[in-house]
Amino acid sequence: MIAVVTFGFAAVALAGGFIAQSFDALKEGTIRSVGHLQVVDRRAVGRAEEATLEFAIPNAERARGVVARDPDVAAVLPRIDFVGLATNGTKSVPFLGIGVDPEPEARATLASELVVSGKYLSGDGGDGIVLGTGLAGALHAKVGDRVTLMATTPDGALNALDGIVEGLVDVRIKELNDRYLAGGLGLVSRLLQSPESVSRLVVFLKDDEREDLVAARIAETLQRAGYPVAVQHWRELAVFYGQVRLLYIGIFGFVGAVLVVIVILSAAIVMTMAVTERTREIGTLRALGTRPAGIRRMFLAESAVIAIAGCVAGAVLALVIRAVLNASGIVLPPPPGATHGVPINVKLYPLAYLAGVAAMLATMGIAAWAPASRAARIPIVDALAHV
Amino acid sequence: MSRAYRMGQATVPAVRAVSLSIRASEFVALQGPSGSGKTTLLNLLGLLDTPDSGAVFLEGRHAESLSENERSDLRRDRFGFVFQTFNLIPVLTAEENVSYPMVLAGVAAEERRGRARELLEAVGLADKLGVRPDLLSGGQRQRVAIARALANRPAVVFADEPTANLDSRTAEGILDLMRTINESSGVAFLFATHDPRVVARARRIVRLHDGAVEADEAA
Repeated sequence: MIAVVTFGFAAVALAGGFIAQSFDALKEGTIRSVGHLQVVDRRAVGRAEEATLEFAIPNAERARGVVARDPDVAAVLPRIDFVGLATNGTKSVPFLGIGVDPEPEARATLASELVVSGKYLSGDGGDGIVLGTGLAGALHAKVGDRVTLMATTPDGALNALDGIVEGLVDVRIKELNDRYLAGGLGLVSRLLQSPESVSRLVVFLKDDEREDLVAARIAETLQRAGYPVAVQHWRELAVFYGQVRLLYIGIFGFVGAVLVVIVILSAAIVMTMAVTERTREIGTLRALGTRPAGIRRMFLAESAVIAIAGCVAGAVLALVIRAVLNASGIVLPPPPGATHGVPINVKLYPLAYLAGVAAMLATMGIAAWAPASRAARIPIVDALAHV
Repeated sequence: MSRAYRMGQATVPAVRAVSLSIRASEFVALQGPSGSGKTTLLNLLGLLDTPDSGAVFLEGRHAESLSENERSDLRRDRFGFVFQTFNLIPVLTAEENVSYPMVLAGVAAEERRGRARELLEAVGLADKLGVRPDLLSGGQRQRVAIARALANRPAVVFADEPTANLDSRTAEGILDLMRTINESSGVAFLFATHDPRVVARARRIVRLHDGAVEADEAA
């Protein structure tokens, strides 16, 4: 019986550590994409723009400087979101564009790691552009080719200019990969004829824990500086993160429920056998004056002792397996949205160990209740006559 | 009192219209062949079972009016039990087995320990305090069981074939011990037995046949 609890506990503790690692990897990948915080015009919250840069942050360099001066901020990346048509002279394909400050973008995000051909933008980006491999395929474009970009300016005029393909990236999400285009802020501002305006400021922090504090401080500082902005947290922006997290919780929750059912059934069988084997002893204890509730308590207490002993053994087993796995060098497949696999690193997650103890105590209690109650109800003379 | 058991479709009477009174300090043997109802009668008197008709009165109290917990408390405080197969708790030492009824009665640990040692000394097992039942002989186990039966200073000890699993010499020793305890402490003893040695030591013999009292006489 202790072995069942031991393995059950070890499974809960290890699964907890593995889930914690998965969530951490997912969180890190998400933050490297959307930043810890994003500063947007207050009107942009929950609304789509009717025209390009309708809800832009003006005087973006000044706003960027204000945010960058915060001591908890590691990097501030200005971004312009826009849409348009890319053409190679014979074929036009719609794209989803992003204007970036190339050097800090490459340092803080996964952008440069996605490059499969050529290189990522450098310096101020010049006339360089980076295309998703899907978009490049549709345009038959390769590194070094010129592509004409057309987009509407904020006042509704159509503008066009040429960009030079510097690199191709694999964005991993096919729909986005077929439409992805990035260029330097200078090129995009010229295309949109909207200098000094950006759609958002993506903010990376030095310390995750201070996110709420820094968000409030940045919002206040920018408003004092005359910017009517809102500061959004990465969790609000990454709907995908929340969905994947829920999916993981659902999967592991289901597996955990199956595990608990197995432990309950095993424990119930063993406790039923224990009651049967000890029927005569139960009769003796009842004859000596033990109340029915005392018999029930005795079996429940025994199940609790088994649960605790199993948890102690399970904790040792979990720690040993964790050490072996973490030393194994096994590389897990990339989490959703990530580009690289991560070496397995099952975390020591104390909450999982506490949850394991609670689950095993509850499980053993549930499993022991019916046999213990049955033991308490056995007629004494029948119990004493049991062979 | 009457008590019958169902065996398949049939109802088998085990005790039939028995009326019996046990007084303080008595040393009584229930004698009869197998199936005569000795154990059933002992179980009914010891509140281990309930009669189909009739009633048990203990010190003037009607046992039928008692709840299950009250019956348990009565067995704990006023009765002692000695079984044919000793029925000691295998994982407890001799001292712990004797202490168990006192634990149920809420006796303080220090007092429990002293009383258990005193009783084990009285039954000649002062050197077996920390020994578990599986390392004791049959006679020693039955002595531990007698010490346990006396732990809460009962009014009466019910003994069901207490010598059946013992050799002659050991059985004689056990019977002498119980008789000595009866005489020295005034605890009543009621035996179910067909062992003539037990009957020979009884001061009152109740003979049962087919669940009914055939004779009730002083020895």
